[in-house]
Amino acid sequence: MTTNTDTKPTPPKWLQCNGQQFRKLAHAALLWLEQNHRHVNELNVFPVPDGDTGTNMLLTMRSAYGRIADNGETHVGTVAKAMAHGALMGARGNSGVILSQIWRGLARELQDKEAFTSVDLAQALQEAADTAYSGVMRPVEGTILTIIKEAAAEAKDAAKKSQDLRFVLERVLERSEQALERTPEQLPILKQAGVVDSGGQGLVYILEGMLRYVHGEIRDLEAQAVALAQARTQTAPAQAHAVPEGGSIENPYDVQFILMGQNLNVEEVRQRIDAMGDSTVVVGDETTIKVHIHVKDPGQPLSYGISLGHITDVVVENMQEQMEEIVHASAAPAPVPMVEAPTIEPGQIGVVAVAAGEGLANIFRSLGAVQIVQGGQTNNPSTEEIFQAIQDVPSNKVIVLPNNKNILLAAEAARDLSPKEVAVVPTRTTPQGLSAMLGLNLDGELEETAKAMEMSYAYVATGEITRATRTVEIDGIKVEEGALLGLVDGRLCASGPEMDDILDKILTGMEMEEREILSIYYGQDVTAVDAQAFGRQIEEHYPDVELELLPGGQSHYLYILGAE
Amino acid sequence: MNNSPIRIVTDSACDVPPTLAEQLGITIVPVYVNIGQESYLDGVELTRDEFYQKLPQYDPYPTTAAPSSGSLAAVYQQLADEGATDIISVHIASSLSATCQAAHLGAESVEGANVHIFDSQQITLGGGLLALTAAELVAVGHSTPDILARLEQLRPHTRVFGMLDTLDSLRRSGRVSWAQFGFGTLLQIKPIMVVHEGEVTVAARVRTRSRSQQTMLTMVEELAPFERLAVIHAAAPEAAAELQAKAQHLFPAGQDIPITAITPAIGAHLGLGAVGFACIKQAE
Repeated sequence: MTTNTDTKPTPPKWLQCNGQQFRKLAHAALLWLEQNHRHVNELNVFPVPDGDTGTNMLLTMRSAYGRIADNGETHVGTVAKAMAHGALMGARGNSGVILSQIWRGLARELQDKEAFTSVDLAQALQEAADTAYSGVMRPVEGTILTIIKEAAAEAKDAAKKSQDLRFVLERVLERSEQALERTPEQLPILKQAGVVDSGGQGLVYILEGMLRYVHGEIRDLEAQAVALAQARTQTAPAQAHAVPEGGSIENPYDVQFILMGQNLNVEEVRQRIDAMGDSTVVVGDETTIKVHIHVKDPGQPLSYGISLGHITDVVVENMQEQMEEIVHASAAPAPVPMVEAPTIEPGQIGVVAVAAGEGLANIFRSLGAVQIVQGGQTNNPSTEEIFQAIQDVPSNKVIVLPNNKNILLAAEAARDLSPKEVAVVPTRTTPQGLSAMLGLNLDGELEETAKAMEMSYAYVATGEITRATRTVEIDGIKVEEGALLGLVDGRLCASGPEMDDILDKILTGMEMEEREILSIYYGQDVTAVDAQAFGRQIEEHYPDVELELLPGGQSHYLYILGAE
Repeated sequence: MNNSPIRIVTDSACDVPPTLAEQLGITIVPVYVNIGQESYLDGVELTRDEFYQKLPQYDPYPTTAAPSSGSLAAVYQQLADEGATDIISVHIASSLSATCQAAHLGAESVEGANVHIFDSQQITLGGGLLALTAAELVAVGHSTPDILARLEQLRPHTRVFGMLDTLDSLRRSGRVSWAQFGFGTLLQIKPIMVVHEGEVTVAARVRTRSRSQQTMLTMVEELAPFERLAVIHAAAPEAAAELQAKAQHLFPAGQDIPITAITPAIGAHLGLGAVGFACIKQAE
C-alpha cells in the first residue's frame, strides 16, 4: 500500500472517533472495496464459477453502509449498531456473513459510546474477532478469521503505546497485511493455487480504505461515490446499445478501468479517450477516474491510462463474441412452465429452498417447497433474501435448504433473525437438497422432520460439470481456463477438453456401479437434444441404472448429477 | 366346513385367496374392473395374470366399480335361503369404495338373516385378513357379537404397506383425493404407501428400490409381533418372494397365507411392480 509522504507535517493526534467520523471511515472502506473487489474475486481458489468473495463482501458492505449513509447521528454506538444491522441483512456468502459478524461484534462493544478511543477500538476489534469465530462451526485459520484476530491483537498492543487512533489503525493494517501474506502457509490449498485468502484480502481492503481516508488519500468521499455510481449505471445502457442489430461491430472491444493518479484533468482524459472509439463514459475527480470505452484496439486506452497514473479494475470484453452468444441463446428452447408451490396450513412445515435455476425451482416446488430463493453458485442470496422467504411462508414452522456450502451461513443467520421456529438442513448441493425434500413430512415436528430430511440425503452422490474460470493446479489435477471441469461432492476430480473423459471420471467418482438411479439436471446453456445425447452416453456405460433427465435451468453448470 | 349358522362374505378387493375362501366357507363377491367400454367381473371374467400383462397398454387407464347392491342382495338372500341366520360381510374401506354402501342397500331386502356390514377400512389383504379371522372364529363356534367385537378390536391394528414403483398409477386412478401425492410430479420417486383405518398416506418417499424395501421392512419390524402377516404384490412375484425371505423372522408361527397377488381392482391404482405387506399387529 502507499504510505504518507515524508514532506507533510505531522498531523495532530486523533484521540476520539465519533459517529460521523466513523461513518466516513465506513464509507471510505466501502469505496475502496468497491474499487478492488474484482481483485478479491480473482483470488477464488477453485477454478469454478462460484459465489465470488469480493462481490459478496462488497454487497454486504453496501447494505451495511446503506443504513447509515444519510444518518447525521454523532453517537458512534448508534451508528455502528445501524451499520451492523445493515451488514447482517445484506450478508451473502460465507465471507459476507463473517464480515457481518465482525461488524456485529464491533457494534456490541461500542453500543454505549458517544465516541471511541484507541482502547475502545482495541476492545471492539477483540469482540469483533470473538463474534466472527463464534459464528463459524469449525473455524479455519488462514482465512478472514485469522486476519481479524491478528488485527485485534495488534490494536491491543498499539493502544498501549499510543492514544492516537491513526497510529493504531496504521499498525492494525500493517499486521493484517502481514497475516494475509502468511495465509498460504496456513492453508495448503491457497499455496497450491498461489494466492492469499480472498476473504482476508477483502478485510484488508476495508481496513486500507479507512486508513487511506485518514491519510487524506481519499479526499472527497461523496464525489468519489458519485463517480463510481455513475460509472456503474452509465456503463450498463452503453453496453446494451453497443450491440448493433446484426452485422459486425465497428469497435468490438469493451474496455473499462479505473485510473488512479494525482491532479488528473477529467475533461482532458474524456476528450482523449473519446477520440479512440465510441460509447465513452469518463467520470471522476482529480484522483480517481472511471473510464469506459468501446474500441478497436484495447491497448490504446490502457496505455494512455498507465501514462497518467496506475489503473485498476481492468475489464476487457469482446462484444462480438457476446453478441454471438446472445444470438445463440435466443435459439434455446422456451423456458419450462412454472410448477405451482403447494399450499400449506399455518401449523404445517414450510420449506424454503435455494435453487439456481427455474427448472430446479420447479422440481423443488413439485416436491413440496413453498418458497424458492433464487441463487446458487454464482449469485449467493443475502441473509435478508432468505429471511424474507422465511417470513413469507404462511406458517411458523420453516425448514431452510441452502443447497450450497457457501449459502449455509447466510441461511443460519436468517434462521437466527426470524422469530419463527426455523431449522436449517445443511444441504451442500442441489441433489442433496432434492433428496432431502423426500424426507419432508408437512405435519411433523420441526426438529424430527429436519433430522429425517438429513437422513434422506445421506446416500446421495453429486457430480457437477462446469468450465474452469482460471488456470491452476489443484490436487495434482491441471486445469486450463475455459476447459471442462468435473467435481464430485464438491471435490475437483477431472479437467480437460473432452466431455467423455470428464464424464467417465465423474461417474467413477460417484461410484455408479453401486447406484440404482441417476438424475441429470441440465443447465441453461445445454439444449434438450444435447442433454439427451449425454444421457444416452451414460446409459451405454451403465445399462442397469435408471436415468432421468430434467431441465435445471442453472447457469454456468452444464450438468448437475445426482446418484443414489 | 362348520355347522354354525353364521356366514362370512367379502368382496374381491379384499384378496382372500380362493383356496382359503373355499376351505373356510367364505363367499367372495366380485367387484367390477372397467377397461375402456367393457366392464369385467374381477377374478371371474378377468384373471390377474391377464390383466397385469395388458395393464401398460390399456388406454384409457382401467377404473374399478363396486358390485351392485342387487348382486350383493342376491348373495345374501341365497345364504339366508341355505339356512344362514347371520351374515358378516367384510368389505373394502368405505372411504375408498362404494362397496360398503352397496352392501347396506343390498342387505335391506334380505329376508331370513341378519346382515352385518363390516367396514374393514382397508384394501386388499388388509380386509382379507379380517375376513379370514372372522371365518376362523365362526369355525370355532364364536357368536356374531363376539366376532364383530373382535373385528372392531383388530381393525385399528390392521395395516397395508406397499412400496410402489411409481406414483403415476395412483395419480391416474383419480378415485380419491390423494392430497399428498400431488408432490413429486417431476422426479421419479418410489413412495411407501400405508393404509390404516381408511386413510391412505405416504409414509416415506425414497428414490431407489433397495432403500424403499429397507425402509418398509424397518417400518413393519417396528410393529412386530403380529397376529397375521402376509406378502402381497401386483405382478411382482420375484420381489414378493425376496420380501418374504427378508421378513422371515417376522411371520407369526403356524400361519400359512401364500404370497398373494393383488386384485386388478386395487392393482390398477398401485401400478405394476407394487409389493408390500398386509398385517395385523398383536394388541398389547
